[in-house]
Amino acid sequence: MVKIENLSFCYPNSEEASLHGIDLEIRPGECVLLCGESGCGKTTVTRLLNGLIPHYYEGTLEGRAEVCGADIRETPPEQLSAKVGSVFQNPRSQFFCVDTTGELAFGCENMELPEDEIRARIAKTVREMQIEALLDRNIFNLSGGEKQKIACAGISAMQPELLVLDEPTSNLDADAIGMLAEILKLWKQSGKTVVIAEHRLGWLSETADRIILLQNGEITAEYGNAEFFSKTDAELNSLGLRGCRAETDWLHGDAGFYPCDPAAPASAEAYRFCDFRFAYQKHRPVLQLDGLEIPKHAVVAVVGHNGAGKTTFSRCLCGLQKHFKGSIRCGDAVYGSKQLRALCYMVMQDVNHQLFTDSVLEEVMLGMHAPDEAAALDILARMDLTAFRDRHPMSLSGGQKQRTAVCSACLSDREILIFDEPTSGLDFRRMQETAALIRELRKDKTIFIVTHDMELIAKCCTHILRLERMPEA
Amino acid sequence: MNGLFQANIADRGILLDPRTKLFALLTIIVFVLGGMGTLAPEWLNVLISITPLVFLCSAKQWGKALGFGAVYAAADLFLIYGVNSVNGAGKYLLIMLCTLIVRILPGMIMGAYLFASTTVSEFIAAMHRMHMPVQLTIPMSVMFRFFPTVLEEFFSINSAMKMRDIRFGGKNADKMIEYRIVPLLICSARIGSELSAAALTRGLSTGTRRTNICRIGFRMPDLIVFAIMLCPYLLLILKKAGAVSW
Repeated sequence: MVKIENLSFCYPNSEEASLHGIDLEIRPGECVLLCGESGCGKTTVTRLLNGLIPHYYEGTLEGRAEVCGADIRETPPEQLSAKVGSVFQNPRSQFFCVDTTGELAFGCENMELPEDEIRARIAKTVREMQIEALLDRNIFNLSGGEKQKIACAGISAMQPELLVLDEPTSNLDADAIGMLAEILKLWKQSGKTVVIAEHRLGWLSETADRIILLQNGEITAEYGNAEFFSKTDAELNSLGLRGCRAETDWLHGDAGFYPCDPAAPASAEAYRFCDFRFAYQKHRPVLQLDGLEIPKHAVVAVVGHNGAGKTTFSRCLCGLQKHFKGSIRCGDAVYGSKQLRALCYMVMQDVNHQLFTDSVLEEVMLGMHAPDEAAALDILARMDLTAFRDRHPMSLSGGQKQRTAVCSACLSDREILIFDEPTSGLDFRRMQETAALIRELRKDKTIFIVTHDMELIAKCCTHILRLERMPEA
Repeated sequence: MNGLFQANIADRGILLDPRTKLFALLTIIVFVLGGMGTLAPEWLNVLISITPLVFLCSAKQWGKALGFGAVYAAADLFLIYGVNSVNGAGKYLLIMLCTLIVRILPGMIMGAYLFASTTVSEFIAAMHRMHMPVQLTIPMSVMFRFFPTVLEEFFSINSAMKMRDIRFGGKNADKMIEYRIVPLLICSARIGSELSAAALTRGLSTGTRRTNICRIGFRMPDLIVFAIMLCPYLLLILKKAGAVSW
């Protein structure tokens, strides 16, 4: 199915090659998992398989690669598309249509199949994946998990031989990942070959036949299913991988607020939530957190299913939600919706949305009431950003961008920080760095983390706030 | 979020062929906005101006329909009956404002409705039936898809700016545009590139003759709209030929 021989690839403008002398053979019907740290070259391998390299992402390619009998040098991705289906990481940017049914048909339409055949294939796929409820919907109104399902279904309808998935679960909650695992099983049963590049491993324990570990662009190890999934989390971590043991699953506990460790001493001071409720429509409450008390210096994991109100919660807390009337009290101080903007700061999931200026130093000083360069340099040093003070924030790595955003929050005297999915798509080392950063910040801030990442919660959170969809009033 | 360029599939009112909607938009632009209307009787102008109102109502967008209807009616009634009841400098300002509303608003509403109620596949199918080249159709359909995405990005950036207290009247007001444009451009460029990659891996290319499962075609409502929209052209021709006058 796939035959890669002594292949090296180097992206333009990059000094080091992404892949060095890769040899890889994949047999029909196999399910292969590619894992390794960010930047190890696993995404590059998936791009080779669907022909995006070398035709869309150009660079220097040496060696041979054959996919479904076609030499990838001579076969552009649109010709491979009938045989190779791809699912990408970001559910927002892999749709061509605005409506779901059009999207399911899109690939088949490009294959110039007759109309009746396309309808039959869509009907079959919809039945197999049980997505009747998603037909004829606006894609922009779907959750991340539903979008990813539609992406898989659209590919499935094209009936390719090889399926290539590049970190498909980065933006999904545990339930959505479970659905994706079912789809994978379905594909495997029908004899398709599947290649997945992933950080999250647990959900693949039943389907992956072969696990390939990449480090710095080279294949360094290869495991069978039993051999790999019997490793302890510590062993996996030492390879730079995320753990895959069943973690404490906070998603299925009781809704409410409770400490992770009931024995831990609570801080005396607390933020008290007053009138903290919100509804987009009458009789359909989304949030109801009156009287909630969050001890100062807590690190609160905000968990819950998609649609449980996590986004609304963080928007209300930051004072961004229109018509929100609630407030937070701390001692004698009362923070209403307007004042919350000066109390809280959110580090967004896509940090690119909140970096505005053209140097890191200017960026962190932007929100200061009285510009104080010494204080700014001090915090940059604490966050290991001194060397980048004159760089453009957009040219930094993901973690550095995140730290830059945190610096600007600290300098504008925010007491409460909210992190929205800070570790989605991060490997073990980078997740640990984020956890260390949060533990450090805890000394003088109170922190909320909206997350699906149970490993991160285990590493740095002191409390759990589990939101659940409210019953209709 | 249901704004511009987002086909709300379940609730989009009378199912019209995209070509009908395009023709309606064209007619409104030519006669109402473009001033050819002065050559047609006033009642006909009003008739084609309020057709978008019917579309909005059929799509159950009551709020928009009511707002548009009220503003348009007020402006038009003022121009017909109210002009002599006011005096002074305000009179001309008011006349100008009302004329602008009467001329521009119907076209805007029709355009917004066209985008909001047409799916990408319908649009591609319609362009194909009109024998438009794929080199034109594909970039245009990408645009359809791209706008709502950019809009989403724009809202996120807006929230981020509020959190940083960058606003009109704030101390960084002079840099508002720069602060907004830089992240928007970077995010849009990235999304655009990811979108193209995804489209390529699903076989989109200009070399193929795509099939389209979307069934478009003219039905009764299309014929009625066409009949109404053809009237001003017919009258114009008849008038030029000297057959009628008013």
